[in-house]
Amino acid sequence: MNARVLVIDDEPQIVRVLRTVLEKHGYQTDTALTGRAALAAAARRPPALVVVDLDLPDMKGVEIIRSLRRWSRAPIIVLSGRARSGDKVDALDAGADDYVTKPFSTDELLARLRAALRRAGDVSDIAQVRVGGHMVDLARHVVLGPEGEVELTPTEWEVLEMLVRNVGKLISQPQLLTEVGGADYLRESNSLRVLLTRLRHKLEYDPARPRHLITEPGMGYRFSA
Amino acid sequence: MTSATSAAPAEGSALPRLRLCGAPAGWLVCAAMVAALTGAIGLLQPYLPVPGLAALYLLTVLPAAVVWGFAHAVAVSVVGIAAFNFFYTPPAYQLAPEAWGDWFALTILAVTALVVSELATWSRRQAQEAALLARVAAALLEHGEVSGHLERMTADALGAGKAQILLDTGPAHGTGGECHPLAVGGRQVGTIVLRQLPRRGAAARRRVLPALASLLGVAIDRERLARQALEAETLRRSDAVKTAILQAVSHDLRTPLMAILTSAGALARRGMALDDCDRADLLSTVLEEAGRLDRLVGNLLDLSRLQAGAAEPLADVVAVDDLVVAALDQLTDQAGRVRPSFPWDPPAVRVDPHQMERVLVNLVENALKYSLASEPVFVRVTATCSETLIRVIDHGPGVAAAESQRIFAAFQRGPGSGSVRGAGLGLAIAEGFAEANGGRIWLESHEGQGATFVLALPVWHLETQL
Repeated sequence: MNARVLVIDDEPQIVRVLRTVLEKHGYQTDTALTGRAALAAAARRPPALVVVDLDLPDMKGVEIIRSLRRWSRAPIIVLSGRARSGDKVDALDAGADDYVTKPFSTDELLARLRAALRRAGDVSDIAQVRVGGHMVDLARHVVLGPEGEVELTPTEWEVLEMLVRNVGKLISQPQLLTEVGGADYLRESNSLRVLLTRLRHKLEYDPARPRHLITEPGMGYRFSA
Repeated sequence: MTSATSAAPAEGSALPRLRLCGAPAGWLVCAAMVAALTGAIGLLQPYLPVPGLAALYLLTVLPAAVVWGFAHAVAVSVVGIAAFNFFYTPPAYQLAPEAWGDWFALTILAVTALVVSELATWSRRQAQEAALLARVAAALLEHGEVSGHLERMTADALGAGKAQILLDTGPAHGTGGECHPLAVGGRQVGTIVLRQLPRRGAAARRRVLPALASLLGVAIDRERLARQALEAETLRRSDAVKTAILQAVSHDLRTPLMAILTSAGALARRGMALDDCDRADLLSTVLEEAGRLDRLVGNLLDLSRLQAGAAEPLADVVAVDDLVVAALDQLTDQAGRVRPSFPWDPPAVRVDPHQMERVLVNLVENALKYSLASEPVFVRVTATCSETLIRVIDHGPGVAAAESQRIFAAFQRGPGSGSVRGAGLGLAIAEGFAEANGGRIWLESHEGQGATFVLALPVWHLETQL
């Protein structure tokens, strides 16, 4: 890949593991143990992606994100502890793109890295995608299932498309609502989650154990390949 | 002549008061007594020597002095002797001022009147002050504090318009009114501030104040000691809890640590001929046990946050099915045994998603631990328009009715849990988080039927928010 990743974490063990894993997968890795060092490193050698821990000693993760976002559009993935989701939401609001909860599996981190690095243009030529037992044809706007065609409402299509084109990425509810037409109605009736439930019922093998259309409560939605 | 006015009305006087309507009635009664006695003497006259009979007027002077005071008693003496002199001392039906025996009797009666009325007043006053102190003591011991009621009582008894009792203060600044320090054994325990004082009664106040001070001193000390005892008890109890936690937890922390150290140590040794299978085994042990440690530490942190009242929920509107799905996602190892089911339109709830996930994870983990690996665990979600119920159902040994409350306490394990690992925190945390988010948890089933834990959450409706 050779994309440059900047890892910002004050725990040397985590940094060591991340560097090993990332370099094994072909990423160039820069590391920083403090916020200030991180901003300096980012300015010196602009990264293609930033992984930042929220609990740093000198600066809060959210501040680092805000500083970076002043001049960089590189995707930012946040590492956070399990508890207070308020930090994660603040980080997303400040401009982070995704999050990974510690302790994380390296597979999960790598998948989110890949998703984050994928630019929208890279997936514009995805014509078809499998969801459950269904084949979703984005070009022809048709969903074919084992029992024939499945009807989706226009809003359901828009939501599905947006999630699919950002496969693997976390899309927050405000993000989704901005993109989708009929957003005012959805926001007012709070039926975005109902829409997701409907999609799951229509497309997933087991709506109770969704594999593709994932809701992360309090955070957002993700289409998992 | 202060005795008449110092016999002021006060509650609790032990002496009889024939105060029917005040002084006028007193005069009437005295007049009646004198008349009656004079009449009686007339009847006795044929049988007893006349001069001695004057002594009988003592029977009217004594009650008059005791009940109404000196003025009444003297009046009774004068009128009585005059009547005696008029009716019975020769010459009859005529005042005889030269009968010196009558004058003598009058003098004796007047002296008696004075002495007895003073004694009565003094006695009454003693009784009043004793009654006041008794009441103060009772009030202090009952309430342990100085109340307005107490201050009013004190003001009444001391004849002041207003009284204020300040505890634990140094010398009071002049706030208008007379300040008296209340000192016990050389130690100042407070101050009484008296306002609107009449001139008289200073002597009474001087008498009462030391006794009042002692009582207050005792009350203050008692309060202080009670407080200290309470603090000591609280401290002791929290220490006991901490010790119990340390004991319960150290075992559950060390067991996985030992497993990790052993496995990792074996992996690190160079001399050992480990094939891929062995290596994979050891590594998976390390991962599993580390996961267990992680969960235990997480539980301890959650519990301590709950107990410290620091578990403020960050509420968000989420769908119930999303919560369950996210919780089940965290149970990767035995997830296959769980069978969730939802209504077609799962309701929304307004809860902290992370905390609710912990509740569900704990409930489902318990269900998985306490039932056989071959049996499924059901998660059934139902809803009415006001409440949604999430039932976690297992077919293990269940919980006895007698235990159904106790199991929610921290560090409690069910009786049949000998071989099951865990420090017994899951249900305590689940209950804590559920309640913090406006829900409740309870056990619905009994021994022999498996266990059904129910989590109830209020349904969030958009319309109610608009």
